[in-house]
Amino acid sequence: MAEKPHLNLAVIGHIDHGKSTLVGRLMYETGAIAEHVIEKYREEAKEKGKESFAFAWVMDTLKEERERGITIDIAHKRFDTNKYYFTIVDCPGHRDFVKNMITGASQADAAILVVAAPDGVMAQTKEHVFLSRTLGINQLVIAVNKMDAANYSEERYNEVKEEVSQLLGMVGFKASEIPFIPTSAFEGDNIKEASSNTPWYKGPSILDSLNALTVPDKPDTLPLRIPVQDAYTISGIGTVPVGRVETGVMKKGEKIIFMPSGAVGEVKSIEMHHEEIPEAVPGDNIGWNVRGIGKGDVRRGDVCGPASKPPTVAEEFTGQVVVLQHPSAITVGYTPVFHCHTTQTACTFMSLDKKLDPKSGQVKEENPTYIKAGDAAIITVKPTRPMVIEPVKEIPQLGRFAVRDMGMTIAAGMCMSVKEKK
Amino acid sequence: MGDVAATIKIMPEGVDTDLKALAGKLESALPEGTELYGVKEEPVAFGLKALMAVVMLGDAEGGTEPVEVAFAAIDGVEGVQVVEVGRPV
Repeated sequence: MAEKPHLNLAVIGHIDHGKSTLVGRLMYETGAIAEHVIEKYREEAKEKGKESFAFAWVMDTLKEERERGITIDIAHKRFDTNKYYFTIVDCPGHRDFVKNMITGASQADAAILVVAAPDGVMAQTKEHVFLSRTLGINQLVIAVNKMDAANYSEERYNEVKEEVSQLLGMVGFKASEIPFIPTSAFEGDNIKEASSNTPWYKGPSILDSLNALTVPDKPDTLPLRIPVQDAYTISGIGTVPVGRVETGVMKKGEKIIFMPSGAVGEVKSIEMHHEEIPEAVPGDNIGWNVRGIGKGDVRRGDVCGPASKPPTVAEEFTGQVVVLQHPSAITVGYTPVFHCHTTQTACTFMSLDKKLDPKSGQVKEENPTYIKAGDAAIITVKPTRPMVIEPVKEIPQLGRFAVRDMGMTIAAGMCMSVKEKK
Repeated sequence: MGDVAATIKIMPEGVDTDLKALAGKLESALPEGTELYGVKEEPVAFGLKALMAVVMLGDAEGGTEPVEVAFAAIDGVEGVQVVEVGRPV
């Protein structure tokens, strides 16, 4: 049987709003937890007269399995609906992990934003909504969670829905097109089926909404781009860079170029998991043997592309950034490290072009003298040494960056335009 | 603050690097407050293998950087890349 289409799903939201309980509940409801485990607890729970105990025990079982080290792939979980299979990640709350979401392996295709009904929108709710926009996560499902702790009140649900809708509108999401679902992940309300606790709610369940998501197109029609993770010389074989294909397709025999070095060669062979493959597509982790270049011609942070359409090296570029944290104010001349694909390059802020009003996205101030934590802005940046970056509109996978300094993630951003280095 | 599991891909200096010995050095290199959950070998290409290590760390300031720096400094390591972060369920 052919495998179902796959989606990467992120669970985002404020700490303690019930994200991990929701992940556990989705596993439980979709049969991702062995039936005998659930059955055993269900019997016990029935004797004690409360079904939700069974779920609590399942959460404990997951924790025990983790402690016994059954699998090391614990940063994500898998569950299936009748339509898709999902890889689900419960995102860390702290902003210092934003760098990993930008430079990490799998970009989320969709996100469930969890907002606890008793609390409403909190600091990390705002931050995660801003970031999902910057990271290009365009499909959202909103779980107004912990409804059991809000007496399943329709009024409270509507208040939170209104508050979240405003926040979504600020960053350019169309709240009217996004499903809002009153849930209790702990009690299981509106996760799989309509709950009798919310007779006033007539919309889809969480699983219905997940089935309504769409699979984004594979970026295999874009130009080839493979950021180099490391490069090797292997005796008897030659020069072998390794990395993950971000966009495009690489074929055996193709003429390729590495930028910024400018080294040109020909793809002799491609291997993935030690097996030779005729072509590599987005998401493949590969090593490729290149004829015509030496190990010294390629290094980490270089980007491989077709010789006919080389990766863009920036003299300068403009970016839209959200400042997440900074102890004081950022002014022209500031030179932190930009993490973009596999490169880490110090870049200087050449000009602060526009400060944006986070409420409307409109320009609030032209040429501000400084920007600080919480601001969104358009800036012009000059790399201190040559680096490849692409406008997010052309090749999104190579257009996002995290700005780091003093051991902190200062800002997240996307490249809007590039002045090419000649 | 809770825990975060970070899956970190560690590339060796070469095909001949002893991965078992390298895996043995990971634990002692870890900064305080972090813990090695597990490590496995993963084939890459042309005889090269990577180590995939899962490290547990706090959902707090600093993120994965102290661990990346510590692993990168180990003899025999060519490169370090965090491929995934998530709060384990």
